[in-house]
Amino acid sequence: MNKPLRNPEIVWRVEKRRQAEVLKALETGEDVADTGTVILLLSGMMHQLNLIGGMIWEQCDGQKTLADIAGELAKEFSVEQAEVESDVAEFVADLAERGWLINE
Amino acid sequence: MSEVTEMFSAPLTFNWTLSYRCNFTCDHCYSRDEECPELITDDLKRIVDILVEQQVPFINFGGGEPLICKDLYEIAEYASKSGLNVSMNSNGWLLDEAAAQRLKDVGFKSVGISIDSFEPSLHDGFRNMPGSFERAVHGLDALHKVGLKSTMSSVISRINYQAFRELLDLARDHGVGQVYLHNFKCSGRGFKNREDLDLTPEEWQAFYLEALAVKHQTKDLKISFDDPVIASLPEYQEKTMVKGSSCGKLSLHLQPNGDITPCGFIPVVVGNILNDDFESIWFDSPVLKAMRSKEATGKCSGCAAFDDCQGGCTARAFATTGDFNQPDPHCWK
Ligand SMILES: C[S@@+](CC[C@H](N)C(=O)[O-])C[C@H]1O[C@@H](n2cnc3c(N)ncnc32)[C@H](O)[C@@H]1O
Ligand code: SF4
Ligand code: SF4
Repeated sequence: MNKPLRNPEIVWRVEKRRQAEVLKALETGEDVADTGTVILLLSGMMHQLNLIGGMIWEQCDGQKTLADIAGELAKEFSVEQAEVESDVAEFVADLAERGWLINE
Repeated sequence: MSEVTEMFSAPLTFNWTLSYRCNFTCDHCYSRDEECPELITDDLKRIVDILVEQQVPFINFGGGEPLICKDLYEIAEYASKSGLNVSMNSNGWLLDEAAAQRLKDVGFKSVGISIDSFEPSLHDGFRNMPGSFERAVHGLDALHKVGLKSTMSSVISRINYQAFRELLDLARDHGVGQVYLHNFKCSGRGFKNREDLDLTPEEWQAFYLEALAVKHQTKDLKISFDDPVIASLPEYQEKTMVKGSSCGKLSLHLQPNGDITPCGFIPVVVGNILNDDFESIWFDSPVLKAMRSKEATGKCSGCAAFDDCQGGCTARAFATTGDFNQPDPHCWK
């Protein structure tokens, strides 16, 4: 999967208030891995993505490559791109397997 | 903040009544006797803008009969171009192939047709409109022909509760993918006619047990119930996004003048979408807060199902007692 694209059947939104709260919690060093900030609605079911997952999801527009997405994420968290590349690839592969992302 | 607003910064769906006007006078209708001033087209578009800004993903037009509203197509097109997922419910009378095509062209994602019995004479009698069964079925066929997704809505009442399987077959025969077996609400004309139309609690229980068994065996059709009181049955295993009634939690209702109510069946105005700050309504309305954190009252106190059932349908409790916290009159416990 090189340029992942969100499955257009999925309705989603960023829960802005929660995202802001999670970002604040992150600053104080809290563990926010289990808090959803993006909701996905798919055939009457709701799924949630946490902050990092949600950020990756938002980038999956069918234009950006995995490297682009890793680059954006690295910039956001001020780390080296190489540090996040495998996480991005793993997350995208997982969502692709569920059919939530498709390859453009 | 309640659990709901911690989770959702806005509802997922707005049920939108553009007008209460209708070409039918159905015996059960909660809205047929309502009257309300209507907004001009520009104001309706402003509402769409607010919904987009608030990231509400779905709108569903009801009424009244949406197909007699002159603004329907223009507003639906404006909304779908703005990224909203648009659907509606109709009695099907005016839904010929040209109308179906137009609905598709303006971006409707799906259209629901109300059919309340598989027997034409029963449907026509219930809806006080000779020929309405045939036209509703033609409506489904028109949607199928133009390739617009259709659903079917049937309000369960004395005229159909023992023949819901036939309603499912009718849906299958006309290309419907999803059937809503709606629970009866004692509001409006439904309140006046409830003695003739509503089932007893024991009949509701028996109906749901049967309907759940059919649902579990059915693969080719999606069968949906929207009745929170069903959660008290051990046979009900579905995971829902919220417990209890979804109104005021996942959805809100818009009246023709822009007033917001928790749902179409609860005539309590919590604010106006054009005149009030939406976030203050969503996060701070005392009425919405009360609906989201109900207190077990009467037989609900101590009921093991309260956690899942939340006292059942808040609209029914309110319509019959004036109190959100009373047990749903349909409850069989
Ligand atoms: C009010 S109608 C508006 C759309 C359109 N006129 C129609 O009949 O489909 C929306 C849906 O609400 C249902 N409805 C009306 N009164 C009801 C009641 N008292 N309890 C439950 N559903 C009701 C109708 O049967 C219909 O399926
Ligand atoms: S149920 Fe629909 S068609 Fe019947 S009176 Fe009510 S709004 Fe009109
Ligand atoms: S007693 Fe109340 S909580 Fe228990 S099943 Fe009935 S309505 Fe639901």
